[in-house]
Amino acid sequence: MKFRRPPWVKPRAVIGLLVVCAVLAIGPLLHSDVYIHNLLTLTFIGIAAALAWNWLGGYVGQVSFGHAAMFGVGGFVSAQLELKLGFPMLIAWVSGGVIAGLFSLIWGHPTLRLRGPYFSIATIGVGEATRLVGTYWDWFTGGSSGLSLPMHHNLKFTLYWYALGLAAIAMAMSYALRRSSVGLSLLAIKSDVDAASDVGVSATRLQDLVLFLSGAMIGVCGASYGSYFSYIEPGDMFGFDRSISWVLTGVIGGIGTIAGPALGAVIFVLLRQYLIASYPQLYLGLYGILLVLVILFEPLGLTGLAMRVLHRARPDLAVTGVAGED
Amino acid sequence: MAVALRAEGLSKRFGGLKAVDNVILELEEGRILGLIGPNGAGKSTCFSMLAGSTPPTAGRVFLGPEEITGLPAFRAARAGVVRTHQIVRPFANLTIFENAIVAAVQCSGLDRAGARSLAREVLDFVGLGPRRHEYPGGLTLAGRKRLEMARALACAPRVLLLDEVIAGVNPAEAQEMVTLILRIRDERKVSIIMTEHVMAAVMRLCERVVVLDAGKLIAAGEPRQIVQDPKVIEAYLGKKHA
Repeated sequence: MKFRRPPWVKPRAVIGLLVVCAVLAIGPLLHSDVYIHNLLTLTFIGIAAALAWNWLGGYVGQVSFGHAAMFGVGGFVSAQLELKLGFPMLIAWVSGGVIAGLFSLIWGHPTLRLRGPYFSIATIGVGEATRLVGTYWDWFTGGSSGLSLPMHHNLKFTLYWYALGLAAIAMAMSYALRRSSVGLSLLAIKSDVDAASDVGVSATRLQDLVLFLSGAMIGVCGASYGSYFSYIEPGDMFGFDRSISWVLTGVIGGIGTIAGPALGAVIFVLLRQYLIASYPQLYLGLYGILLVLVILFEPLGLTGLAMRVLHRARPDLAVTGVAGED
Repeated sequence: MAVALRAEGLSKRFGGLKAVDNVILELEEGRILGLIGPNGAGKSTCFSMLAGSTPPTAGRVFLGPEEITGLPAFRAARAGVVRTHQIVRPFANLTIFENAIVAAVQCSGLDRAGARSLAREVLDFVGLGPRRHEYPGGLTLAGRKRLEMARALACAPRVLLLDEVIAGVNPAEAQEMVTLILRIRDERKVSIIMTEHVMAAVMRLCERVVVLDAGKLIAAGEPRQIVQDPKVIEAYLGKKHA
């Protein structure tokens, strides 16, 4: 069977992603800086999660403040499967992700009928309820003392490539969801859900699908985070600030754009690393200021800024829509 | 003549208010049916029930022989009943071309390439072809009404419900819109139900007119008879003019 490229996949994008991944993949073989290795691994997980949040928050426009619920569910299910049932790590990750995705459907199917701020408020409730239940169910999460996962030095080193793979898959999925014809329907739902239904878009089914994919990917991120730190604890996994961080990375990087949230995640992880040690208060304040500036001046965040600069430098390269020229 | 769309005993209650009360509609294949009445008569609610955006409290809707009562809007659209909105609702974040593609991909049953060429063809048909890579924000009201119609046509509908597509545009544009509606009927073989306040357009376009007042059907017949019906004049202007 010969593989045929779907018409919406630009070869340029595939080559670009492969080149970036190849460079990052050979990186650790050339240097032995544990600090950078560690930072990049966390950045990759952050990128995958930020992109997954954006599928729902950016493409469909349903801004979730409760995605840490799926991060935690994915993390703890995966940990328990490894510890109690002896699942191999990758299968545990995927199972954790699927269960996190199903969990998101349980609360999301009814609440996705709400739109805008009403949906967002509902997700705050879901996120906090999950955190509280997670903290009390110590048979599942180990309670406040958490769970410890198997760890050896080699694994921590290898997880770099797993995390890179995860970010690459999330990037490819972001591209596919946005550029394929499904992407147009998602944007139509974001613009006007009733008008979209009137031209045949099944809003309920598509929103459920996107929420499942988003929840499952975040769940896998939670699972990989757990494996990387070899210790997880409900207050951290389900934390509200974790949910907020994805809103921030999405908005600052460029909400609804394909790659913007990845950029947002890189900046978020880097800023946190450099600022949290010396100025823990300043770092949240800085983020707040950045958020206000973006919302006031550039709704598409850093991506919008980059597009503006590009447009000024080369006005002939007009930014066309998804459908492109034909 | 075959019946394209038929509604029997269509009713909608909002609490104690009977917005639409026991209305009967019958649209013949290849015809244009006018649905008129003063503001608040229940015309748009009727459209919502026919197109599936609002489930009826009572009554049944048939598309040809097939019952479509209570189907959700996206299923009714895929089955072939597509509406436009009185207040235009373009997808502002998509280009004009993409607006049409969404509809074509979801409704027409064509593959991607087929859906794209249908989308291009309907945009050329309504006269928006050259502007298809622009965003709807740059269009005039008449332009956006054309887009609304193009998007509905991209669904490859059998029955088109046009909700006040002429009201609010200037006389020259209104004239073009009338021509466009006739072309939709004749060239695309689509049966049409339209609500409209511009009576001149109704008189020119519709073979039959149904009049609603306060949710009830008060008259039905040819446009010329209808405008002389005392009940209709009373509904629009009050008793002393009737």
